[in-house]
Amino acid sequence: MPASRLDLLDPSEVARLGGIEIIAQEVVEGFLTGLHRSPFRGFSVEFTEHRAYQPGDELRYLDWKILARADRLFIKQFEEETNLRAMILLDASRSMAWSGSPLRITKRAYADRLVAALALILLRQRDATGLVTFDEVVRQVIPARVKSGQWTRIVRGLLDTPDGRGTAADVALQQVTSLVSRRGLVVLVSDLLFDRDLALTALRYLRHRGHQIIVLHIMDPAEVELAGPPEVRFRDSESNASVVVRPRELAGAYAQTVAREVAAWRTACRRHGIVYHTVRTDLPFGLALRLLA
Amino acid sequence: MTFLHPLLLAGLALAAIPALLHLLERQHPPEAEFPALRYLSEAERQSARRVRLRHLLLLVLRTALLVLVVLAAARPLVPLRVKSVGGGHEPTALAVVLDNSPSSGVIMDGRPLFERLRATARGSIAAAGTNDHLWLVMADGVVRKGTRQSLLGILDSTRVQSERLELGAVVARAIRVVDADPLPAHEVHVVSDLQRTAFGSTRVTRTPRVRVLILAPLARPPANRGIGVVKVADGVATVPMVGTAGTPPGAVTVRVGPQVIARGLGAPGTAVTAPLPQLGDGWWVGEAALDPDELRGDDRRLFAWHDAPAARVRVTGDPGPFVTAALGVLREGKRVNDAGRSPEISIGDRMGAGPSAVGGGTILIPPGDRAMLGETNRALALRGSAWRFAGPATPGLIQGRSELSLLDSVPVRLRYRLERAAGPSGAAAPDSMVLATVNGEPWLVRDSSTVILASRLDTGWTALPTAPAFVPFLDQLINHVGRGEAAISSAEGPVHIEFRTRGSDTLGATVYGPDPRESDLEPATPGQVEETLGALPLDERRFLADRFTGSRRADASGWLLGLALALAIVEFGVATVLR
Repeated sequence: MPASRLDLLDPSEVARLGGIEIIAQEVVEGFLTGLHRSPFRGFSVEFTEHRAYQPGDELRYLDWKILARADRLFIKQFEEETNLRAMILLDASRSMAWSGSPLRITKRAYADRLVAALALILLRQRDATGLVTFDEVVRQVIPARVKSGQWTRIVRGLLDTPDGRGTAADVALQQVTSLVSRRGLVVLVSDLLFDRDLALTALRYLRHRGHQIIVLHIMDPAEVELAGPPEVRFRDSESNASVVVRPRELAGAYAQTVAREVAAWRTACRRHGIVYHTVRTDLPFGLALRLLA
Repeated sequence: MTFLHPLLLAGLALAAIPALLHLLERQHPPEAEFPALRYLSEAERQSARRVRLRHLLLLVLRTALLVLVVLAAARPLVPLRVKSVGGGHEPTALAVVLDNSPSSGVIMDGRPLFERLRATARGSIAAAGTNDHLWLVMADGVVRKGTRQSLLGILDSTRVQSERLELGAVVARAIRVVDADPLPAHEVHVVSDLQRTAFGSTRVTRTPRVRVLILAPLARPPANRGIGVVKVADGVATVPMVGTAGTPPGAVTVRVGPQVIARGLGAPGTAVTAPLPQLGDGWWVGEAALDPDELRGDDRRLFAWHDAPAARVRVTGDPGPFVTAALGVLREGKRVNDAGRSPEISIGDRMGAGPSAVGGGTILIPPGDRAMLGETNRALALRGSAWRFAGPATPGLIQGRSELSLLDSVPVRLRYRLERAAGPSGAAAPDSMVLATVNGEPWLVRDSSTVILASRLDTGWTALPTAPAFVPFLDQLINHVGRGEAAISSAEGPVHIEFRTRGSDTLGATVYGPDPRESDLEPATPGQVEETLGALPLDERRFLADRFTGSRRADASGWLLGLALALAIVEFGVATVLR
């Protein structure tokens, strides 16, 4: 019954039902009920489809027949069969510990539950899954394993990572690149409130190393649509900078700016073969996971 | 532009409220955490110019809105260019001069002229607003200040009066009154028949601040004749005819009591004489009347005269040769009698017997020998006189009271100064009066029963003995002044006679009646009007249309409120749509 599927309920309501482990398990159970195959594609012997070649792709998966016939570069994709190495990168900066409404959970809380659910799905598929949390520096590193107790370690790693301060993701991402040596899946969960170019440099490097990259852009609805009292001084807790604005006056321009920023991320990611999704914290976890399917 | 409620303009300080609110609001806004500040800063940077323009526009609109509302509340009055357009007028100091002199009582077109004049004056006052300052001036010259209602009440109860209107003087006074008022507009409305004789010597000084509107004569007045001041002399009443020149003669009837003593025809400029009957000693009253015409107020006039035997005169001391000769002439004309044993009047440079002893008076001529002044002054003091002779005084010309006007301008070479005595005798008798002056100092005085001259009646002292007026003066002095009588005088007022008495004695009379100049109804020419009053007369239509036009204003509060409403709509649009 849809009503009993936590993956489709409001995240803030789901978060009140228990800890990360329980919620993640329930969400995954509900989510997997609707799926019969692994949603994640890796490098397998069972061919599934083609996709355009991206710099960094291994040449051995290049479809030479198409190249010979049409002079176009396509990569063959295969149904997952073997273990996938997945590393989840979670942004734990101060900006993530914020909610635009007391009725909603923070971006960090949302991301924790989403990461736990994702890790559980991957581990159930016998995929080696690891976790890296970072703010200005790398806080937690849990190498990708598939052995039992890995999910508990990942959850413990989430719980042991406090809310950070600033976000120097570019530095942290560069550290991460050295931690993810074997090719696999890299999932970046962040609000992306840092320098886009520097972050993309690190992501491009990972992509160049042959990793498949998924970026989940976590956004609070209040960050998408500006609201507030007639006049307010907004302060950024990371930089301590502030600005006095009239939300009603600036709402239009702000929405356009956010749309431009999202479009810029989306365009840049597409250009480098990176999958990009925006995830609002009021989106049910099941739908967020479905974005990855 | 002026305002009906200027004090409300203090509310313009409210216009600062939007700016103050803007500043206050900016200083203490609530603070909130917002991590996506980079998006916010970018959005603000990109829309800063538009937002600033919008803020400025809103500030201007809201300030203008408040200013307009405050201005509308203060009821601004703006000048109107088109006279026919209705509307109010700015606060005006208005004086209405209404001519209710006797001439305004003339019947024209079957209706008293005064009623039409009063209706016009009433219209001027009724058209005034509650913020105007109003005065009403009529023939009595009294400047009445009042509210619109009170002055309308006065107008409604006003009738034709007997006082003559000196138009130039009254209008000049009205102009001074309104000119001194602080209100922004000043007008004087002159509602009169503009009778030519009402224009005296007074010329109005033009004042740019004061508009003078003069109503032109409503119609050509009828020819009129009236009776002037009747004079009685030597048993004959002379009835002068006055009125509009060229008016045909009318029938005049002279009565004494019920008895008609004379009838005659008289035209303005002529006179009808009537011999008075011998009715014996005493005061008598007569009446001269015309057949009724359009102006009834001047068709009847009373007159009075006094029949008395010639005074019994005794000479005391040396009165001089000219007095002696004049007494001889008067004696021959039976104007004086010899005193015999009971003198009534003594005349000379010595004091005679006291009045209590003989029941008569004394005409005292100063002694020729200055050494005798002391004795004369002592005699005056013993008589209880308040006057005494002092040292020599400057020469000059005589100025007499009205009954002694025949003395006017007669030169005096030598005279003593007459001064009031110090001490108990300095208290003047109730009827003590100065009858003639030289250089403003007493020359002929009467104190109780004593008449004192400051000069001897001699050519070495004054030219009076050689003047034609000398014998009549002496007659007047002996038969009237010396007897304590006052002359018969005339004055303006309703037709009647007032006698002055002392005890049981009648001393004089005042004959009241309209000023003879009121009978001439000929209006002044426009040139005369402009020369005297400083403005040309306007016909009734122009007069009514021009009232308050110099200050006619429209109340702009409605326009301002409409504009404020439009601004409010624009402000709402800017505040809600242009975000």
